[in-house]
Amino acid sequence: MPKITISPVTRIEGHARITIHLNDAGEVAQSYFHVEQFRGFEKFCEGRLFYEMPQITPRTCGICPVSHHLASAKACDRIVGVRPTLTAHKLRELMHMGQLIQSHAMHFFELSGPDLLLGFDADPRIRNIAGLVQTHPDLAIKAVRARAFGQEIIRRLGGRKVHPIFAIPGGVNKPLEPADRDWLLGQIGEHIATAQMGLAIWKDWLEKNSAMVAEFAVFPSAYMGLVRDDGALELYEGTVRLIDADGNILDEFNPCDYLDYVGEHVEPYTYLKYPFYKKLGYPAGVYRVGPLGRLNVASHISTPLAQDEMKVWKSLNGGKPVEGSLFYHYARLIEFIYALERAQELLEDRDILRTDIASDGGTITGEGIGCLEAPRGTLFHHYWTDEHGIIRKVNLIVATGHNGWAMNHAVNLVAKRYVDGTKLTEGMLNRVEAAIRAYDPCLSCSTHAMGQMPLRIELYSARGELLETLEREA
Amino acid sequence: MTSNGKPKVAFFDFACCEGCQLTVVDSLQTHLDLLEAVEIVQFREAISDRGEDYQIAFIEGSCTRQADEERLRKIRAQASVVVALGACAHTACVNALKNLHPLEDVRRWVYGDQAEWYDTYEARPISAVIEVDAIIPGCPIDREEFIRVVKALLLGKKPPLPDYPVCVECKLKENVCMFHIGKFCMGPVTRAGCGAICPTYGDGCEGCRGFIPAPNENAMKDVLADAGLTVEAIMARFTMFNTYLVSARKADGEERR
Ligand code: SF4
Ligand code: SF4
Ligand code: SF4
Repeated sequence: MPKITISPVTRIEGHARITIHLNDAGEVAQSYFHVEQFRGFEKFCEGRLFYEMPQITPRTCGICPVSHHLASAKACDRIVGVRPTLTAHKLRELMHMGQLIQSHAMHFFELSGPDLLLGFDADPRIRNIAGLVQTHPDLAIKAVRARAFGQEIIRRLGGRKVHPIFAIPGGVNKPLEPADRDWLLGQIGEHIATAQMGLAIWKDWLEKNSAMVAEFAVFPSAYMGLVRDDGALELYEGTVRLIDADGNILDEFNPCDYLDYVGEHVEPYTYLKYPFYKKLGYPAGVYRVGPLGRLNVASHISTPLAQDEMKVWKSLNGGKPVEGSLFYHYARLIEFIYALERAQELLEDRDILRTDIASDGGTITGEGIGCLEAPRGTLFHHYWTDEHGIIRKVNLIVATGHNGWAMNHAVNLVAKRYVDGTKLTEGMLNRVEAAIRAYDPCLSCSTHAMGQMPLRIELYSARGELLETLEREA
Repeated sequence: MTSNGKPKVAFFDFACCEGCQLTVVDSLQTHLDLLEAVEIVQFREAISDRGEDYQIAFIEGSCTRQADEERLRKIRAQASVVVALGACAHTACVNALKNLHPLEDVRRWVYGDQAEWYDTYEARPISAVIEVDAIIPGCPIDREEFIRVVKALLLGKKPPLPDYPVCVECKLKENVCMFHIGKFCMGPVTRAGCGAICPTYGDGCEGCRGFIPAPNENAMKDVLADAGLTVEAIMARFTMFNTYLVSARKADGEERR
C-alpha cells in the first residue's frame, strides 16, 4: 500500500535558491536565500468588488487559506464601516484556532518531528511522517488525529476544510449548531494531551542536544506580534507590540496604523520584500514574527496550561527574548496548547450558539485593514476601494515576508558554521533545510514532498565563479 | 499496468493553491480500499518517489506559461487517461483574473526590473493545451465526487458529471433560497455536484464548478439585476471563477460578427 500523508505546500513557481559566496581564504563570506514570492494576486484583485476578497485571497494558498479568509473579512468590515457582532467575532476566532491547531500539529509532527526524532542526518527518504509511523506509531496516530481535529473545527463552521464558506463583511454566514459544539468540546481533552506529549518530547530532545541548539542560528533581533491590552498572547485581534533584542518595548500600535511603523526594504537577490520598523530603519529595525516572536513579545498567556509553559519559556534566557531559531519549535508547541485551550473557552462561552451573526453594512469608507496572527506570523490585508467598493489597490504583508531577513540571516550563520572550504555535503544541505524549516516559511521549498524540500545550493568563489551546485528535487 | 495488475496513477500540479491535492489526500484517508486498487507512482504532496510509467494522470492547476505546455504534452503522451483535477485545471479558476489586466503590467508589478526573466502568459485551463478525458470540477474538488470519478475510471467507464444546475441539489436540501434573504447566487447556471454546499452554509454560489451545458445567461443576468446588482457586480459574479470561459466566448462572438 502506498504511504499517504500530508505536507503543507504553497504557491510559488520555482525553487528556493541559496547561494554561498567564499572569500579569498576559502571561507564563507556571505550567503543568500533567494525567493520568488506571490503570483501577483495583489495586482489581479484590482477591479474586483471588495466583498469578493474573502473568497479570492485564500486561493493563494491551500495550506493556510483560513488566515487569508479571516484577515480579508476583517479588512472588509472596515470598508463597510461595521463591527461584526460579538457572536460573529467569537465564531471567527474559533475558526482561527482550528487553523492554528491544524497547522501547528502538522508542522511539529510531520515536518520538524521527524527531524528531531529520527535525526537531522537521517536519510530524507525515511525522515518524514512515514518514517515516524514506523518508529513512533502511537505518536504519529495521535498527531494525525490532532490535525484532523483542527480541520474539523473549520469544516463544521464553514462546510469544508479547504476554502470554507464562512466569513463575510460584518460577520459570518451561519451560526454554530449545538450538536457540533458538543462534539467538538468532547474531543478537545485528547488533543491537549497530545500537544503536551509533543512538548515533553521536544524538551527531552532539547536536553540531549542543548550544545547544538545553543549554537544553531542563534542571533539577536527585534520581535513583533499581537498582544491583548494586558500584554497577554493574542492571535486573532489585538495591538501590535514590537520589542527590541533585550526585550524592551519599542512600540505598541493599532494594526490599522501599520504603514506608519512598518517599511519594506527591497534587496536585489530575492523577491521577498523585507519589512522593518521604520523608526530604526533598515537593517537595524528588522524583526522576527511567528511563534518565537509572539512568545517573546507577550508577557503571559491567558489560559492555564499554556501559561505554566510560558513561565518556563520566560526563564530560558534569563527574562530576555529567546534567540535560537530552533526554539521556534518550542514556541509552536506552547501555542498549540494555547490554541486548544482557547478553542475550549470559546466553545464553552454561553454566547457561542447565538444566532446574531452578522451586522448590517454601513457606507463604503474606501479603505480597510485586517490583521491577525497567522500560524507563521503577523498577516496584514490592506485594501483601498472607490466609492462603489471596487478595489483600487491591495497590499498584503505575509508572515514569510516579515521573516525574510531572519531566514536569510539564519542560513548565513548555518553556512558559516557548517560549510568548510570548497565542498558541499549532504549534511550541509540537511542543516540549511533545518534552519529554514524552523521558520516554517510558506514556500514550496520548505515543505514539499515530506521530509525533503526542493532546494538548490550554489557555491561561488571570491571571484564569482560557480564552483559547485547541489540540487535536490522535490 | 504493474505486475500486480493495478493501474498506475500519477498526480501533477501547475499554478494553483494545491488545495485540491490536499483534498485528495484527505479523501483517500477514509477510502483505503481505493488505495489498495491502484498504485500511486507520483504525488508530490504525499510520496517522494517518482515513477514515469503511469496510465492515469490527475492534473491540478492552470497552465500559466509557455514551459507548462511542454510538460502537459509529455504527460498527455504517457497517460491513457488525463483528468482535470479541480477548478484551476478545469476553468483556470481565479488564476484567470490576471487575464483581465495587461500582462505587461502584472509582470512589471511582480518582478520589476527583472520582468523579462519571468516566463508567464494568460492563465488557461489545461484543456486549452491538451485533450482531457475527465473533469473533477470545483474549488476545491468535492471529496466524495473524487472517489466516484476514480471508481468509474477504474471500471473503464466515463465518469458521470451532473448536467443540471446547483439549484436542483439546493432544493433537495430544502435550503432557503439565497435570493430570499437578500444574497446573490449563481446556482441556476452552475453545474451541480457539490451538494449546493455554499447555499447550505449560507452563501450564494460563485460558480466554481463551471456552467451547465447551454446555460441561460441572459435570464441569470436579469435575475441578478432584479435582485439589485449593478452591471459591474453582475459581471463580477460571472468572472470570479469563469473569467477564461467568459473571455473566450466574448472573443468567439466578436469573431463571428
Ligand atoms: S481549484 Fe481551488 S482549491 Fe483547487 S487548487 Fe485551484 S485554487 Fe486550490
Ligand atoms: S440558493 Fe442558489 S442554488 Fe439554491 S435555489 Fe436559490 S438560486 Fe438556486
Ligand atoms: S455552490 Fe457553487 S461556488 Fe459553491 S461549491 Fe458549489 S458550485 Fe462551487
